[in-house]
Amino acid sequence: MTDVTLAVVLPLLGAFLLPLTAHRGLHWLGMLLGPALLALAALLLFATWTAFESPYAIALGGFAPPLGITFYVDLLGLLFALAVPLTSLLLWPGGSDEAAIRQQSLTLLLAAALTGMALSGDLFNLYVFYELAAVASYGLAASSATGPAFVAAFRFLLISALGSVVTLLGIALIYFKTGTLNLAHLATLSERLADPQGLAAFAMLLIGFGVKAELFPVNAWVPEVYAATGKRVAALLAGLASKLAVLAVVRILLLVFPHDEARQLLLLLGTLGVLSGELAAWQARDVTRMLAWSSIGQLGVVLVAFSLPGKAGLIAGVTVAMHHLVVKSALFLLADRWGGAVDRLKGAATASPLGAALFVLFALSLLGLPPLPGFWSKYLVLSGLAEAGSGMQHLALGVILLGTVIEGGYLLRIITRLYAAPERDIVPPAHRFPNLFASGLLALLLVAGAILIDPLWQGLNTLAASATDTQVYVQTVLGGKGITR
Amino acid sequence: MNWAIGLVMFVGAVGLSVIGIAGMLMSNHLFRMVLALAVAEAGANLLLILAGYRWDAAAPILLPGHSTQAMVDPVPQAMVLTAIVIGVGVQALALSLVIRVRQHYATLDMRVARQRMQDALDQAAGVVPPRSQEGPAGERPLPAPTRTIEAGGPHD
Repeated sequence: MTDVTLAVVLPLLGAFLLPLTAHRGLHWLGMLLGPALLALAALLLFATWTAFESPYAIALGGFAPPLGITFYVDLLGLLFALAVPLTSLLLWPGGSDEAAIRQQSLTLLLAAALTGMALSGDLFNLYVFYELAAVASYGLAASSATGPAFVAAFRFLLISALGSVVTLLGIALIYFKTGTLNLAHLATLSERLADPQGLAAFAMLLIGFGVKAELFPVNAWVPEVYAATGKRVAALLAGLASKLAVLAVVRILLLVFPHDEARQLLLLLGTLGVLSGELAAWQARDVTRMLAWSSIGQLGVVLVAFSLPGKAGLIAGVTVAMHHLVVKSALFLLADRWGGAVDRLKGAATASPLGAALFVLFALSLLGLPPLPGFWSKYLVLSGLAEAGSGMQHLALGVILLGTVIEGGYLLRIITRLYAAPERDIVPPAHRFPNLFASGLLALLLVAGAILIDPLWQGLNTLAASATDTQVYVQTVLGGKGITR
Repeated sequence: MNWAIGLVMFVGAVGLSVIGIAGMLMSNHLFRMVLALAVAEAGANLLLILAGYRWDAAAPILLPGHSTQAMVDPVPQAMVLTAIVIGVGVQALALSLVIRVRQHYATLDMRVARQRMQDALDQAAGVVPPRSQEGPAGERPLPAPTRTIEAGGPHD
């Protein structure tokens, strides 16, 4: 059996080895090291995925849970963990000068921490990995080394650190009430958290992890950071890091707070996120910030989806999250050259027909045009909301539909500019090849998703069935039958 | 007597967190924001320590022959140790960013720095910055710039 912990350890090792190669003049080694380690981690996770039979837990260091820290390996965790090295590889910042090396080692650090978040089965361990990812992303946010980037990174750091303090308070509250932080152990004690204090603890954790998940009240950093850094970093943060933060919230919601009040809170904040994000995106006049605000709206939809109870909610959530990961990463890659004012994009399609076509494809999928996966993801969320059927859910349904209309407005605004006649023969720049290549790969993935809808549906069903079954989690970790040391 | 000390500890822990969080939200001075962060973290850490503290127990150190003694819960202490280390790292990073902001914009006022950032981003994007008519209502007006670029100002 392959050891999944290596998928966390290898990028972490690389993150600290990489700067050394630059000092020793081993640039060729530095160029190879990062991608090689990420590819190895992806292979490891893929091998685990194909050989997967039933969920199991790994007791790190040989200490048995609930005292020891565990990694929990199930299909949900593996899917998100697998997305980490693959996306980081796709968005790998090339180059061999000192600034590039620094950015690469931060990317490796981020990949290691995010993989750890996907697999961790302990609340405090989750918090530590989250902090590690946060520190790496502050560095990435400042990596373009301009004035705006430093201000944006500092504001990001402050909001995120505020969230961390609140999370720590929430963790202390949970420890007061239960005396444990192992997620499986907490799942058995979840009745103790079914009171206002428990709800307060959930709200605190939500605020903390929500900073990265672009949750409604703590997302002011999003447009500034994405506009001030390189677009590959923006894609990494909007596409990947936010999804892993969402996964952390989902794990906590499923295992520790299976109460209606907690779901309602998530639903409320998600709905507000959709509304505020889409309205702000409508106001934005440059492509980068439009995409940034729109990603807040999209993540609102993701959180609304995960707030639905049972299997249907999880399937909808995973679909929307993965769809957003693919589409938003690709759109940010395309915005690398087209990030400026929307009006400057006139005639871009003549300069870069392939880039424009890809942009249209991703934009239509984001909107939810029927044959594309975006339609199915939105359909699952909306039908889930309609079935769940209380007042709040119907309100959320209306808000998401309204959000889609607004989204259509601003995305079509970009598309019409792309295919308009160029003004005074000023043609917007064409794309750099690596970005075009990466977004082309993502487009293939999107089209494959549209074609292979049946097997995907089957896979998602088994994934959701095992992920929503709290008993399996508790039995595997605490029952001792699925533990490897 | 112990309950009184405990009460003071709890009030202190929650009070420190509240003071710190309020300071981070209400201050406009970059350095004060970092200090407020340190205060808030201290409060959160103290609360975690209190979560596992027992007045009738010894320090959680396992000595030969003393293993039956009641001990303070060591798990929160280990977590606080981790949290302190993370906190110090984040504060150092925050201070280094403060230095960079000061070098680029010659200010430690968050409002000024943020306005300059917005202007720079708007200019880079080729968007006319939204002024009074289009800007969001309720934004506090900027204070008049008292100091312009001085020695140790922008390097670029």
